[in-house]
Amino acid sequence: MPLLVKARSFLRNLFFSRRVDQDLDQEVRSHLQLLIDENLRAGMPPKEAERAARMELGGAEQVKERVRDKRLGNGLHSLLSDCRFGARQLYKNPGFTLTVVLTLALSVGANTAIFSLVNALLLKSLPYSHPGRMGAIYTRIIGSETSDKYHNVNGEQWELLRDHVPALISAVSGGTTGVNLRAGSRVEYVHRGRVSGHYFDVLAIQPVLGRNFSEDEDRPHGPRAVILSYDLWRNVFGADPALLGQSILLRSEPCTVVGVLPQGATTPLNADVYTPLQPSRDGEGRGTNFTAVIRLREGATWQQADAQINRVWSTRAGRYELAENPSANVSYHSVPLQKSETDPLRPQVLALMLAAGLILLIACANLAGLTLVRMLRRTSEVATRLALGASGWQIQRQFWIENLLLALVGGAVGIGVALLSLKQLLLLLPEHFLPVPNVSLDGRVLAFTLAVSILTSLLFGMLPALAARRVDLRSSMADRSSVRGGSLRLRQSLITGEVALTVMLLAASGLLIRSLIHLETLPPGFNPNGLTVGKASLDDVRYHDPAAFRKLLDESTAAMRQIPGVQNAAVGLNVPYEFVGNDWVTLSDGKEAGHQGGSDWVYVTPGYFDTLQMPVLAGRVFTDVDGPNTQKVVVVNHAFAQKFYGGGNPVGRYIDKDTLIVGEVADVPISSGLDPVAPIQTEQTMYIPATQVEGPLLVLLHQWLQPDWIVRTAGPVEGLTAAMQRALATADPNLPASGFYSMKDLLARTLATQRIEVALLGALASLALVLSAVGIFALVANMVAQRTREIGIRMALGSSIGQVMVQTGRSGAAASLLGLVLGLALSGGALRVMRSVLYGIGVYDGTTIFAVVLTLSAVTLFATALPALRIASIDPARTLREE
Amino acid sequence: MNSEPTTLLPGTLDLLILKSLATGELHGLGISRRIQQITGGTFVVKPGSLFPALHRMEEEGWTSSFWGDSENNRRAKYYRLTKAGRKQLEVESRRWGRISWAITQALQAS
Repeated sequence: MPLLVKARSFLRNLFFSRRVDQDLDQEVRSHLQLLIDENLRAGMPPKEAERAARMELGGAEQVKERVRDKRLGNGLHSLLSDCRFGARQLYKNPGFTLTVVLTLALSVGANTAIFSLVNALLLKSLPYSHPGRMGAIYTRIIGSETSDKYHNVNGEQWELLRDHVPALISAVSGGTTGVNLRAGSRVEYVHRGRVSGHYFDVLAIQPVLGRNFSEDEDRPHGPRAVILSYDLWRNVFGADPALLGQSILLRSEPCTVVGVLPQGATTPLNADVYTPLQPSRDGEGRGTNFTAVIRLREGATWQQADAQINRVWSTRAGRYELAENPSANVSYHSVPLQKSETDPLRPQVLALMLAAGLILLIACANLAGLTLVRMLRRTSEVATRLALGASGWQIQRQFWIENLLLALVGGAVGIGVALLSLKQLLLLLPEHFLPVPNVSLDGRVLAFTLAVSILTSLLFGMLPALAARRVDLRSSMADRSSVRGGSLRLRQSLITGEVALTVMLLAASGLLIRSLIHLETLPPGFNPNGLTVGKASLDDVRYHDPAAFRKLLDESTAAMRQIPGVQNAAVGLNVPYEFVGNDWVTLSDGKEAGHQGGSDWVYVTPGYFDTLQMPVLAGRVFTDVDGPNTQKVVVVNHAFAQKFYGGGNPVGRYIDKDTLIVGEVADVPISSGLDPVAPIQTEQTMYIPATQVEGPLLVLLHQWLQPDWIVRTAGPVEGLTAAMQRALATADPNLPASGFYSMKDLLARTLATQRIEVALLGALASLALVLSAVGIFALVANMVAQRTREIGIRMALGSSIGQVMVQTGRSGAAASLLGLVLGLALSGGALRVMRSVLYGIGVYDGTTIFAVVLTLSAVTLFATALPALRIASIDPARTLREE
Repeated sequence: MNSEPTTLLPGTLDLLILKSLATGELHGLGISRRIQQITGGTFVVKPGSLFPALHRMEEEGWTSSFWGDSENNRRAKYYRLTKAGRKQLEVESRRWGRISWAITQALQAS
């Protein structure tokens, strides 16, 4: 019963506080009236009666306040009223509120956006059923060179894994390539993923129609089968269920459709169609060309799986891991698929998160400075409230509530900022760049944002709150000037700190920008302007015959040369900036005879060097005379001559027994598979006439790579790509091109990661710079505003405007310069971790340091000069009168 | 009899208010005067202490209040004991009896 009464009172106090208050007011008034009546009856004169009554009552407001204090739910009630008061205070200072909210929104927004990436990449589960039971196998090598990372497997490893590791369901895949798919009269260029049997069992994907591949279909020379993605089945075959069991033409070969994947099913391969990999120890199974993915069977443990893997893989005949490191200790262990999928991006993502954290600190330093000033300005208000009987706790609480309100509003706007910037960021990314289907703001991200906002408000509210505790009633009532030396020094150190962090971010992004510029301006060794490139898949039974292949190249390049505006046309297995295959070569004559080494390897048609305008340094390039039955010839690049002949003339020398080097050309940047130290670099390369590539090699090459058709035009040609497709069709009407692009597009695609790094870190560094500028500006502007009187006196005493401006601006400039020095010192230590992502420059890069110093000095000058200019408008006479 | 008003011991105000209401409903001033009267002028309860206590006790459910007319036709808020209030009066009285007996014992000890 009493509980019910209490609840009723609580609710009444909370929701009908006005009526409760009116009631109390009447009660106190009637009490006073009764007292007066009593006094009158005792014979007092009316005035005396009222005075005595008021004396006894002891202040109507105090009585009421004491009742309110004792009321149920008083805490909540006064919290609400503090919130209302706080909101009013913030509304009354739109400049302050707007600055704080915007600062918060930008910094919290940046953090939210970056965290949603972290969330999507590192925290959220992969889009498979029971992703925790899926894994990848890492190879740990302990020896002269120690490493622990994912490694592809060869055919022998795969067979052992499949047959002798019962704790796992295992599968391998062979990458995604372009192939031609004929549907009725149409031929489509589609992405094909080659997967072993059980691949979809490992991913736990059950076809919506039909079945997964059988073991028979996965054996070499087994029946040809294909599984379609849902989208392809719907878009190309009109979602026809009768397609199951029918034969479709893939690579010009009939394949039986055995299954259709469910809608929205994703695989690491992101292919349109899947065919059996049919892996063996031969062919591509000789090398480590398979990607393995595993799932733990019910009832088994990872320890069992690891033990089984180590047992079977350690007793292999061909242990390539030991080839360069014979005494090394090699072991294998499984890691969660989540980890192996996100490993390559983890350092970048965590670095970004760190940068975002620095932004937050910078914002906090700024906001602490701003709230400190605001707090000091309100000293007299605080003193008045203290004098009227407010407790220290009540004053403190008011400030905390205002900070919290700001943090929540800033956080809410920040979410909007995050949504917008995330959308921009995702537009920047190439398709399938991230190993996750989408990046979204889910509950975890929102919880993070809330936590960050509150943390920020705690951080920036702490200083002013501490300052408020020291407000001394008497001195602050008497002392009207509120900026004291202590608070100025405090604000200056805040500025120094944030500038130092900004310098680090600026230096880091500067280094990345320099690195990107280095990569984009590598001497091309060819003329990239005016080239248009398109790929077509020759992974097609019709081109297993070298004669058919040669005929296609001849006819299609001839047809392309006929296109009006086209100066030259050629075909090559690769163009510059692309990933290039490689092989071993053996030198066959002179003192280098018997030397071996790896070299990149590209087949080309005779017009290739002319079309790309690659300078010929020595000898000749290919002609139509170099055919399948003539002397085997190659053209090498300058790096090849450097590496294998010490810079001597390679022309006339023999390699691989009977192959003659006939020419030397300039180096072009490529994306290396041989010894990748940078995303693009120049490397020893040999060019082979397309006519001299042997049949079996041709089949293997075309399984992995799609050759490029290249045309050169003097200027833009209307409808060029359509004309190129038509020219290709005159040679083969059933050969679709994958799409056409310029060399600039290609370079951009190869350097996508670097561009994104630059864009993201650059954006964060700019944000830091803006925040620091705002901080310096606020410091100086505040000094001007609060020293108006002092400045007036100085000017009245004969100081020039310039002198006063320098003196006032000095506080901001000094703090900023100190921050610059501190930041450079910190960068020297901290940025060494960036060494692995820098190309062509060192960590201590003069140009970058110079640019950082210049940028920061300019911003500092601007941020101090702008508010200092207001000094010019100060009229000494008037300011002196006002005080 | 001591005519000097004495400060109230903690916890005794509730007891005095409950006791003053035991004989019937009273308004705030009435309660104040009644306490003064029944304690022989030892305790004078000021409005600053009386009203917070009255409101708290009402929220506890020991008293209920209503607006009525005073003896000389002034609107005034009256309080009366609820059932829970009567029980509380018994509890408090017993507690006070124990305390007062204990204190007296303590002071008489030699």
